[in-house]
Amino acid sequence: MSLIIKLATRGLTLFVVLLVVLLLVVITLGATGFSERMLQATISEELRGLRQSLAQTIRDPAQLEEALSLHHEELISYYHLDKPWSYRLPDLVRRVLTLDLGEARTLRSFEGSSQVSEIVAERLLNTILLVTTASVITAILGLLIGPRLATKVGSRLDRVACLFLAFSYALPSMWVGIFLILAFSFSVNLFPTGGMYSLPPPEGGIERFMDLLWHAVLPIVTLVLVSFGSWTYTIRTMVLNTAQEPFVSVGRAKGLPERMVERRYILRVAAPPIVTSLMLGLAGSLGGAILTETVFNWPGMGRLYYDAILAADESVIVALTFIFTLIYIFARFILEILYLILDPRIRYA
Amino acid sequence: MRLQETIKVLLSSNTGKAGAGFLLLMVVVSIYVVISYPLDFGLRFWNNPVVWADNPKNVPPAWSSIFTDLKRVKHTTLRATEPTEVVPGTGIDTRLYTFNLGYQFDEPPSFTSFALDNITYYSRPPIITLSIARPDGKEILLYRHVVRGPDPGESFPISRYVESPYRVYLSGDDSVLFNIADFARQELGLDIPLSQLRGMVDRIIFGIPAEEGGQDFEVLRGNYTIKAATQVYHPQDSVGEVVFVLGGSIYGVMGTDSLGRDLATGLLFGFPVALVIGLVTAILTTIIGAFMGILSGYKGGKTDTIIQRSCDILANVPLLPILIFLIFILGQKLGLVILILVTFGWPGLTILIRSMVLQYHSSQLVEATRALGASPWRIMFRHIFFQIAPFVLAQMIFFTPAAILAEAGLSFLGLGDPSIPTWGQILESGFRTGAVFAGYWWWVIPPGLLIVLAAMTFVLLTLGMEPVVNPRLRR
Repeated sequence: MSLIIKLATRGLTLFVVLLVVLLLVVITLGATGFSERMLQATISEELRGLRQSLAQTIRDPAQLEEALSLHHEELISYYHLDKPWSYRLPDLVRRVLTLDLGEARTLRSFEGSSQVSEIVAERLLNTILLVTTASVITAILGLLIGPRLATKVGSRLDRVACLFLAFSYALPSMWVGIFLILAFSFSVNLFPTGGMYSLPPPEGGIERFMDLLWHAVLPIVTLVLVSFGSWTYTIRTMVLNTAQEPFVSVGRAKGLPERMVERRYILRVAAPPIVTSLMLGLAGSLGGAILTETVFNWPGMGRLYYDAILAADESVIVALTFIFTLIYIFARFILEILYLILDPRIRYA
Repeated sequence: MRLQETIKVLLSSNTGKAGAGFLLLMVVVSIYVVISYPLDFGLRFWNNPVVWADNPKNVPPAWSSIFTDLKRVKHTTLRATEPTEVVPGTGIDTRLYTFNLGYQFDEPPSFTSFALDNITYYSRPPIITLSIARPDGKEILLYRHVVRGPDPGESFPISRYVESPYRVYLSGDDSVLFNIADFARQELGLDIPLSQLRGMVDRIIFGIPAEEGGQDFEVLRGNYTIKAATQVYHPQDSVGEVVFVLGGSIYGVMGTDSLGRDLATGLLFGFPVALVIGLVTAILTTIIGAFMGILSGYKGGKTDTIIQRSCDILANVPLLPILIFLIFILGQKLGLVILILVTFGWPGLTILIRSMVLQYHSSQLVEATRALGASPWRIMFRHIFFQIAPFVLAQMIFFTPAAILAEAGLSFLGLGDPSIPTWGQILESGFRTGAVFAGYWWWVIPPGLLIVLAAMTFVLLTLGMEPVVNPRLRR
């Protein structure tokens, strides 16, 4: 029972986070007049379409203008542009929630659609693919190396390794990406400089997959390089802290094999705080993904951010900010569940 | 623990020493920059193309030429304010400004340009003729310029080119092109179509055909004399400055970017900016975070709940997307970036500090002070705070690289503050203009390395602070 309450509380907190971000977004848009400009752009778009269709039937230009201005006023009251911006907030919240953000200014989806929701939707999977793969690799590497370092704490290996891990924390992901491009695609021509598939993409399932893999190597290496350091260092510290607990000494004193002590006595106990640190690092890896995608022209949402900034397309930026928050909250919730599964104290409380 | 003691422990480890050394380096460079750079460096110099017009574009640093056998062209600016020789004539004086140029490089210059500054005349407008005498005895007339005559209603003396110099980009100027075509026809016997000649100008001026009648040119080494002859019609006429620029294929300590900006100056300016971003954000975050954490932990009850719930929410906001959104909508200002980083940064620290304060809350020290009648505020900020001070300091140092990296990331996405150049912005301009794919390493590697250096400085200090925070690690 307490498990469900705990989970519900966390879920509620995360929901409030989403709400706060949403409110922050819409209030900023409203107070700065951006939402007004976005609506005006929608209206003038509709009027342009109307003018073309009306021009077929109404020949008299004065009459046409009159009909159009009448419709203009209708549209203004329909979108509540005649009311103060706070009045439009609920509607704006709904529009952001459903990604009903109209048309992008210059950006197009791969199929040529200019609907913001479609542009964002088709890139979602590409981002998730990249981030998940990199995270899994990072997690495995950290779980393999971290405990090893903890057993050798204070040794030269440990000290040198810690320095490297610290160095990894200090690396800006975009620069690592640029460095890898210069080193492995510009000088050696081993990997492509960017994109997700060759042009034209190869036919056939396996070849297509290999092509994808070949394009994904450098971005994934970048993401692993920048997130691996703090992650491994955390595991090392957590394992180290647990290893100093008396029950570990008891386990050793009982004559249990070292592997068993390591797995059942140390790693198992250190698991929940490790998940907590994974949660804290989540926002960072999303940020890293935005920058890495930008450098490697990976057709995900991060690269879309960059393109939207260059094109000054605020609807796309609003949509992306919302989706990124959503992804983040979703991932956080999964980690919360994982935490509850790993920490028996909550289950039996 | 006292401050002196803290520093002593910090400096006892190699990581601490390295961190302190880097920090000292950054501070020294920052002080130098703050003293020697104007405050509006970003707008008046860095983002002002006029300042960099006479620099070669996209050329590597001077020291990079040690990796090649090729003798690369050194960027040379020749200036004269006084004529080398005055040839008197009847009513017309000819003032000669001559420059001697020993050309011993293996390639033609990347460009040549010529500029006149601050000309004043009292009767007819002066005529300036630029020509170059080559080592093989041939002379090329490059350019002739008549200073613009008086406008209706303008009275003598007339001043021209006072605010900005009159500048000719010789390598791309049409009249130079015709003159070079004439030279090629008459002196070399080559009839090269103008469309082909464009882009060959410098190769012809500083070269000879590799074979008789061929259109491949090789560099002609030796002494060149550049002559700017000014014909003046009044003895009081004056020419402020004559400038001839030989565009190098290498430049300065760090090379140049596509606008010809001297990257070294921009990179240097990044030092104080990075320090300010990192330290201001870290200090503000720590002050708010520590204050809220102590309050939350000591007061308990409703205060605690409210603070902890707001922390839960604020600490869970994904930073970079929000940062991008707010800066995009509210405008690209560095102060705003710092404000947002602080707003979403303090809760993390508050959660940590609260858990530490809870341990001290029921300690004998606190109990004793309370029994002595100390007020809650006195206990919180005179007693509890000083117990956790080293930890707070360590956290402050730990926050610094995060802020530097966040600003760099934001700048890289094109949302940097245009009035304040940062390393992230230099990286971004290199990326946006395709320097990465053209292999202009000197443009994109150094700014990133400096970001790493700045972040690494504080990471090393954090590592060095570990024994201070965790006395078990002290040796």
